[in-house]
Amino acid sequence: MGRTFADVEEGDELPPSDVELGAEQIRAYAGAAGMWAPRFTDDEAARLEGLPGMIAPGVLSMGLLVDLVEGWAGVGSLRRLGTTFRGVVRPGRLRLCGAVTQRDDAARTVELDVWLENGDGERSVIGTATVAFG
Amino acid sequence: MAVSFDRALIGHEFDVVEHPPVTAEQLVAFARALGTTDPAYTEPGPELRAHPTYCVRFHGRRPYPDRLPSGLEYRRGMDAGKDVEFGVPIRPGDAITQRSTLHDVYEKTGRSGTMTFVVLRITLTNQRGERVAVIDNRFMHR
Repeated sequence: MGRTFADVEEGDELPPSDVELGAEQIRAYAGAAGMWAPRFTDDEAARLEGLPGMIAPGVLSMGLLVDLVEGWAGVGSLRRLGTTFRGVVRPGRLRLCGAVTQRDDAARTVELDVWLENGDGERSVIGTATVAFG
Repeated sequence: MAVSFDRALIGHEFDVVEHPPVTAEQLVAFARALGTTDPAYTEPGPELRAHPTYCVRFHGRRPYPDRLPSGLEYRRGMDAGKDVEFGVPIRPGDAITQRSTLHDVYEKTGRSGTMTFVVLRITLTNQRGERVAVIDNRFMHR
């Protein structure tokens, strides 16, 4: 069934996940998350704020990265996720990626680098995560 | 923007909110809006739990502490990133208490000049006093 600690080695890459993030999904998320701000819902309003058009909330990107990690290690495995929002995330094609940087045999945890690439291959969100295996 | 800042404000708790109990419908709606497909997050029933990032769904009454230097207003800050430590999962019926403290203020100089970062620490606990999440929110001010 799920991946176990014994299966994991430093340097392993998580299978990348390609996501087509639609404007409607961003709006739906902003509503469900109580983040109803014009920059998350409307291109024109976002441009008035100096943005290239509507953008996704940073926490939506975090949610997608959580799903990448938990898809690999299992629900409830994530102990910590730290992210830096380096650039805006716009509607369109995204790729979610991760790699194992460290294995802690005593704690049975692994450290990951995770990141979100926009359609131009730029890393708009970068971060690290700690995953625990039972 | 260089700021002179009273370091005694670090650790100051500026907001405490007791949120009403979360419902299964809210948890499912959030997970589906995110696009998550795992039934642990999307199927009502005894196994249902909140998606880990549901913890950012809670908003305080006051986004920023008072008494920060002028120029460091919440509406002028950019969300620069978050560090989240996850505790016990949120389940339907949980009543979450949110405590916000000013965790750090620091400056960094980059290509575009000096930026000031305001770090807020949000601690969420459930009705049993168990820690649900600790969220460090970094906001950047130019």
